[in-house]
Amino acid sequence: MSWFHRLANTVRSRALSRDLEREVAFHLAERADDLTARGMSVADASLEARRRFGNRSVQTERTRDRDVVLWLESLLADTRYAARSLIANPGFTAVALISLTLGLGANTAIFTLANAVVLRSLPVRDPQDLVLLDIRETKHASETGYPYFTNPIWEEIRDHTHVFSGSFAYANRMFNLSNGGIVRHASGALVSGAFFDVLGVQAVAGRLLGRSDDVRGCGGVAVVSGGFADRELGGTATAVGRTLSLDGHPVPIVGVADPRFFGIEVGRKADIFVPLCTVGLFDGPHALDQRSRWYLEVMGRAPGLTPEMVSARLSAVSPAIFQATLPSDWSKANQANYLSQLLGARSGGGGLSELRSQYAHPLWLLMAAVGVVLMIACVNIANLLLARGAVRQREIAIRLSLGAGRGRVIRQLLSESVLLALIGAALGAVFAHWADRVIVAWITTRRQPALLDMSIDWRVLGFMIVAALVTAALFGLLPAWRATRVDPQTMMKSGGRGVAGNRRQRISRPLVAAQLALSLALVTGAGLLLTTFRNLDAVNPGFRREGVYIVQTDFAHAASDTSRLPAMERDVLERLGAIPGVRSASLSAFTPMSGAFWNDFILAPGYVAHDEKDSLSYFNEVSGRFFSTMGTPLLSGRTFREGDGESPTTPAIVTRTMARRFFGIDNPLGRTFRTPVADSTSPPYEIVGVVGDSKYNTLDETTGPIVYVPLGAKGGIHGWTQWNYELRSDVPMSSILPAARDAFASVSPTIELDATTLSTQVESTLARPRLLATLSTFFGALALVLAVVGLYGTLAYDVARRRNEIGVRMALGAAWRDVIRLVLGDAGRIVAAGIIVGTLLSLVGSRFVSSLLYGVAPQDVRTLVGATLVLAITALIATMLPAWRAARTDPTEALREE
Amino acid sequence: MPTSKSDVLQGTLDLLVLRTLDVRGSLHGYAITQHIQRGSADLLRVEEGSLYPALHRMEQAGWIRGRWGTTEKNRQARFYAITAAGRRQLAQEQESWERLTDGVSRVLRFA
Repeated sequence: MSWFHRLANTVRSRALSRDLEREVAFHLAERADDLTARGMSVADASLEARRRFGNRSVQTERTRDRDVVLWLESLLADTRYAARSLIANPGFTAVALISLTLGLGANTAIFTLANAVVLRSLPVRDPQDLVLLDIRETKHASETGYPYFTNPIWEEIRDHTHVFSGSFAYANRMFNLSNGGIVRHASGALVSGAFFDVLGVQAVAGRLLGRSDDVRGCGGVAVVSGGFADRELGGTATAVGRTLSLDGHPVPIVGVADPRFFGIEVGRKADIFVPLCTVGLFDGPHALDQRSRWYLEVMGRAPGLTPEMVSARLSAVSPAIFQATLPSDWSKANQANYLSQLLGARSGGGGLSELRSQYAHPLWLLMAAVGVVLMIACVNIANLLLARGAVRQREIAIRLSLGAGRGRVIRQLLSESVLLALIGAALGAVFAHWADRVIVAWITTRRQPALLDMSIDWRVLGFMIVAALVTAALFGLLPAWRATRVDPQTMMKSGGRGVAGNRRQRISRPLVAAQLALSLALVTGAGLLLTTFRNLDAVNPGFRREGVYIVQTDFAHAASDTSRLPAMERDVLERLGAIPGVRSASLSAFTPMSGAFWNDFILAPGYVAHDEKDSLSYFNEVSGRFFSTMGTPLLSGRTFREGDGESPTTPAIVTRTMARRFFGIDNPLGRTFRTPVADSTSPPYEIVGVVGDSKYNTLDETTGPIVYVPLGAKGGIHGWTQWNYELRSDVPMSSILPAARDAFASVSPTIELDATTLSTQVESTLARPRLLATLSTFFGALALVLAVVGLYGTLAYDVARRRNEIGVRMALGAAWRDVIRLVLGDAGRIVAAGIIVGTLLSLVGSRFVSSLLYGVAPQDVRTLVGATLVLAITALIATMLPAWRAARTDPTEALREE
Repeated sequence: MPTSKSDVLQGTLDLLVLRTLDVRGSLHGYAITQHIQRGSADLLRVEEGSLYPALHRMEQAGWIRGRWGTTEKNRQARFYAITAAGRRQLAQEQESWERLTDGVSRVLRFA
C-alpha cells in the first residue's frame, strides 16, 4: 500500500468509520429481515444477526486502522530486527554509539547555547513587533548605531514620536539590598512607566508599574520577579507590601511579575524593577536632566512596520529631538556632531544582550566545529557499516533471492542506522545538558553573569531530531545502497569473499583522507585559539596580578556631610595599611579590568592628533602607594605625596606611552598639558613622574596612554564615592578580610563593601578566549581521535583482507621490513592526501576565526606545521599496529587458510 | 449450522467478491454474501465481519468502486461495482486459482 493511501486513510478515518458503520447497520437490518421472514421473533433476529456478524466495534476498529497498524507493525519488526542485530555486534554498537553520543551531544550542547543566547525571543507578547532604538551617524540602513540614550532624549522620543503603539526605556542597575556594611547585590532595572504594559507582562500578585508611577519627584515603588519573591521574600503571597532597602532607600513592593519574565537582556536576570524617576532618588534630583548621561536603552512596539520603516520615520524627527536635548556645555564641534545624529531602529524581539554581541560569533564558529566533528563521526560509522555490509552480503543476497525488494532491504538496513542515531541523540541530549552547565559556568563572571534559559524548546527538539535523522542518512544510506547492490547469484557462489572488499576499499580511502583533512582544519583552528589564550594569559599587564586584594566600596551613605568623606577615605586607608600581613595598601578610583573607566582628551603643546581618538587618554585618581601595591615600576620622577591634592596645578604621573605620544620623549618631567572643558580648557596638569605602561580595560587592548592624578586633585574626579582599596599581601584573603572589615566599620558602619582579588578580575576578561581555547581543543582532539580511528580501522581491515597476498609475498622472500613499508606506504598516501586538503581547508577556514585571535596570524605557519605534525604522529601510531600485525603474518598459516 | 459448511478459504475472498460483482453488476455487501452462499450451493459461507474490511481494501486498491444508493426496501446501502482494474485482477486471480486447484488435484490423484 502506498504512503499516500496510508496517510489519506489516517486523515479521513472518521469519514471512513462513519461509512462503515452505516454499511454494517444496513447489513444487520437485512439479515434480521431474513431471519424474521423465516419465523424468528424480531428481537431474536436482531440478536442472531449481531452474533453472526461478530464483534462490531472490533471490526470497525480493525478496518480503520488496518493500514496504519500494518505499517506500524512492519516498523516495529524492523526496529526489533535492528535492535537484535545491534545487540549481536556489541563492539560495533559501542563504537558507533560513543561516536554518535559525543558528536550529536556536542552539536546539541552548542545549539542549545546558541538558541538561548542568539535565537530565542523574549518571553513577552508579540516579540516580533519590538524594535530596539539606536543613534547613528548616517542614514545607512545596515549600520548598527550606539544603543544608549540620555533621559532628555528618551523623554523627547516618548512625547514627540508617533511611530510606536508603545515605547519604553530601560537601564540595568545593580541594587545594594543591605543597609551599610557588606554589600548584597541584586540585579535590577530602572524602567519607564509603560514598560510592563508595552511588553504585555502580567502580574502574579499585586500590580505592575504604570505610567502614573513614573513621574518626576516620585518616591519610588518596586516590582520584583517571581524568582526573587520566592528566594528572598518567602513567596509571592507575602512579597507585596514589604519594603526593600535599595542602595539605602526604603522602597515598597507593589507587585510580583510573571516568573517567566527575566527582563529584556538575555544572559541577565533582572529581579527588581523600579520606575525611571527613582534615578532622582538614587543619584540626586538633577540626574533626570543630565544631557551627557548615556545609560538608557529604548525599545518600541511597531506592529506591521519593519525596522527600516521605523528608522525612516525616526530619522525624520531626529533633528528636532537632538536640537531639544543639546548639551550646552559641549564644544561647538561636538555639538555640531550631536545635531547631525539620526535615530534608527533594529529588530528587538530577541532582546538586548551584551552576552550575545560577545558570544554570537564564537558560538556559530563552535557550531561549525561540532558539525565537522559529527561529519567525521558519520564517516567512521559509514566505514564500519560498509565493512559490516561486506560481511553481511551473504545474508542480504539470500534475502534478495528470496524475493525481498531492494527497497525493503535498504529500509531494513536504514532502520538500524536510524535506531543508532536516535539512541545516540538521546544519550547526546544527556551529555549536552551536562556540558551546557559546564560551559555556562565558564562564561559566567562577576562582571557578566550568564543566566540563560536553556530549557528544551521546539527549536532545540527539532534540531536534535533533524540532526539525528540527517546523521543516520549520512552514515547509513551509502552503505545500505552499496550492500544491496549485489547480484545474489555471484554472491552466493563466491561465498562472500573478496569481491566486496575491493569495492569497499575504493570508497573508504577517500573517506578516511577527508576525515583527516577535516580534523587537521579543526586542530589548526584549536591551535590558533589556544595560542591566543596563552598569548593573552602571558600578556604583561604592567602590574602583578597575584597577591592583590581589592575592596570595592561606596561611601555615598557614609556621612551626611560629603565634605568629610575624603578624610574618612584616608582614615580607612591608614588603618588598612596597618593590618598585619598587608605589605602595601592604596586607594584608587578605578582598578584595572573592572569594566569601569574614565577617559578624556589631552591637549599638549606641540601635539597634533591625526585622529581625534589618538588624543584620548585613560585617567585614574590614586593614592601615592598605588604603584608599589600594583607592582607598576616608577621609571623617573616621583610618586604622589601628601599635599599634592591641594596644589593649584594638578601634579600628574603618566605612563611611558603617554609621555612618548604627547611629548615625544621618555622623560617629560615638569611639562604640562590640559584637557578640554566645553570650548575652553582645564587648569594645567604638571608631570611629576613617569611609570611603566599598564592595561586598563582588557588584556588584548593596544596599550594606551594613562594619566594618574593624586587624591582630591583639582583635575580629579569630583564627587566620586565608589573607591577601591588595593591590599598587597602574602597571606590568604580570609585572614585579612575580618580586620579590613573592622577598619571600615570603625570609620563608618554605613560604608558599602565588596571584596575580590585582582587576579579574579583580570581572569574574568579571559572567559571568552578560555572557553574558545578549551572547547576548540576538545573538539579538535575529538575530531583527530575519530579520524585516526577511521584510519586504523581501514588499515586493519585491509591487512586482514590481504593476509593471503602478504603470505604469498613473504613466502616468495619479502622481509618483514618490506611488509611494514607496504602498509606504511599505503597509510602514507592517505595521510598525505588528508594533509594537503586539510592545509587548504585550514587556510580558508582560519579567516573565520581571525577576529578572535590575539598575537597570532590566521595563517600562522608554526601553528599549521604543529597541527600537521600532531596529525602525522597520531596517524603513524595508528598505522603501527596493523603494520606490525601484517609483518608477523606466518606465510604457511596464511596460505593454508585459503 | 452444518459443520461441513466451510468458511471461505483465506485469500479467495477477493476472487469470489470480484467474480460475483463481475457477473451480477452492482451489489451491496449483504447481497454479495447471499450470492456467494447461494452460488456455492451453501457450501461456502462468507464470514460477515471480514467482508467489509475486504471491500474497503479492494476499493482502495481500485478494483471496485462503492456508491451509496437505496434498496427496494428503501434502505440506504453501499453498492459496489467492479472496475477495469478489478477485471484484470480477477483474471489474474482466477488463473492462479486454477493453477493451484490443478496442482492440488494432480497431487491428490497421484498420491
